[in-house]
Parts: sequence; structure tokens; C-alpha cells
Amino acid sequence: MHELSLAQSMLQTVEQALGGKRTLSAATVTLGLFSGVEVESLRFCFTEVAKAEGFGEPELIVNRHLPRARCRDCDAEYELTDVLMVCPTCGSIDRHIEGGYELTLDSVEVLEEEDDVPDAEKG
Amino acid sequence: MTSPTPKKVDITKPVLSKNDALAASNRARFANTGALVLNMISSPGSGKTTLLESMGRVLGGRLAVIEGDVRTQRDADRLRASGIRAEQIETEGACHLNAQRVAGALDVMRFDDDPTEILVIENVGNLVCPSSFDLGEHMKLALLSLPEGDDKVLKYPAIFGRIGVLLVTKIDLLPHLDFDVDRVVRECASLNDHFKTFRLSAKTGEGVATFCDFLLAERAKLAGG
Repeated sequence: MHELSLAQSMLQTVEQALGGKRTLSAATVTLGLFSGVEVESLRFCFTEVAKAEGFGEPELIVNRHLPRARCRDCDAEYELTDVLMVCPTCGSIDRHIEGGYELTLDSVEVLEEEDDVPDAEKG
Repeated sequence: MTSPTPKKVDITKPVLSKNDALAASNRARFANTGALVLNMISSPGSGKTTLLESMGRVLGGRLAVIEGDVRTQRDADRLRASGIRAEQIETEGACHLNAQRVAGALDVMRFDDDPTEILVIENVGNLVCPSSFDLGEHMKLALLSLPEGDDKVLKYPAIFGRIGVLLVTKIDLLPHLDFDVDRVVRECASLNDHFKTFRLSAKTGEGVATFCDFLLAERAKLAGG
């Protein structure tokens, strides 16, 4: 249950990026297949922490990122959709995996007058 | 008064960027003393503290430990009783250590003036949550003990994909259990290109000296670089 810590950290990052607390309608995160994050728990924690800390009641939008794998037996490249997946060409689990640990806060939707958004963040 | 309209603001930062910054500051402190620092992760009861006691018998004063537990000073007390320098962090509910708590423990143990060569940070017993939090360590290591079963690696890819060392522990129980060590290594290799495996028993001491030699060699590489 580290999703509460992740939600708190996301809102600290938002506050720093926006130069203060703003009312948010949404936030978007990218989670890799191996990020070890329980999505529903993170969604719940994010909205609850945001409410408690004065960021409105934003929805959390989650993009799942699937890593690329290259089979060490037959050299086929494939997208890894599950940790138990084997090479679709030859059935091997011997492979090199690129990425999968992504845990990134991509963007937020700020619910305020345009003039309130810092110039540096525009565009 | 105009009604508010949502405006998209790009952030593109790691969710744990604040923790990452504190971890970088810990890493700089480690570089300054030249100690090799390990983030030790496993489920509860796999033998982390018992292994540390055993490592203390090999490494003596070169080893120091930061202990992480939800509650109690038991582990630090145990290690001190065997002559190992140890500092306890009680997370009071948190399921993982973070870089800030480790920085606090480094302050208390006056780490910056400490002759420690190998610092082990024993994380809270948990195979999921600790994997996301960088503490500034040089490498993560995971213990998997024989009684836990040989099917665990792919159940916890977040940790087994990121380790530099896999310790298969309680190896003295091999004659009594159906545990396929090769399966564990093979499945870990399906997630991870660069880990070393050691088979050891903290109880009999088997493999412990070899593992400690590896750590001292890794520390020497740091000094060389």
C-alpha cells in the first residue's frame, strides 16, 4: 500500500510545477507493466489526498506502458503484455526487456481562469 | 465572472521526483565516504537479519546497517548484540523506506565520518512497495528463501527485475524441500540482464564469505572509478 505515498508525492510535484495549489479536474500518469502500482488504489488515494489538500477533486487518468522485449533465442521483438508471456514466435522466456518501470506524472488539467496559470506553463 | 475551463499543463516528471532528489543527495554522501551501499529487500522471514549477523562475523567493523521496520527496535538491538553498528528506522505504518528517512538515519549514525565500507539498508519486509523508492543505494538485492517457494520471481517482477544480486537463502533446507533453484534463476533472467546469484545459508555459513568477498570487490571497483 505505497499508493498513498505516491499520491502525496504527485501532488507535491504538481504544487511545485504550478507554483502553488490549484483546482485540478484531472491528472495523467504513465505506469509501466512492472511499476508495482495498484491502479485502483492509486486512483482512490490521488483523489482523496487532492481533496484533503485543496486541489479540488481531480480524476486520475492512467496510461499503461507495455515494455518491448527481444527474444534471446530467435531474436523476435514483441510487446510484453504480461509477465508470464512467452515469445510469440518460439515460446522462449529468455529475453531482453526494455523499460517497464515507468512511473511518470505527465500532465494536469487546471480548472482556473487562464490568467491565473503561470506564463512559463502556457503553451 | 467567467466559468473556469480546464487548461492542460505538461509536467513530465517522475511521480517520485522529490524522493529521487533526496536519493541523489544520499548518493553523494555515499560517494564521499566510499562505502558500498545496498538496499536489501525481501518478504518478512526470509532471513535478512540473520544473514546480516552472519555477514558481521565475516566483515567485522567494515559493516554497518540501517534497519527498517514498521515497529520495534528488535532488529537493531539484535545486530548491536552481535557487535554490528546498527541504526533503526521505525516507519510507523509505512510499508517501505524512503530517501528522507534514510538521510535522517545517516545523520544520527554520523555516517559522514564513519569508516564503514559496506552499508546495508534492510528495507521493510515487503516485495512490492520498496522497489519503487530509490534510497541512493548502489544496488538493490533481494533474498528469496527456500520455504517461500520457487514460483515467486514472476509474481513480483517490480523487484526481481531491478536487482543486482539475488540471494537464494536457507539453502541448507534444499534436501527437505521441492525447490528448483535453476527455475528461480531462469525466471529472474527473463526480467533482468544483470544480476548475480548467490546460494547461501546464514545458519551454516555456506556461501556467506563468498558473498562478502563479492561485496568487498564491488566496493574496491567504486574506489577505482
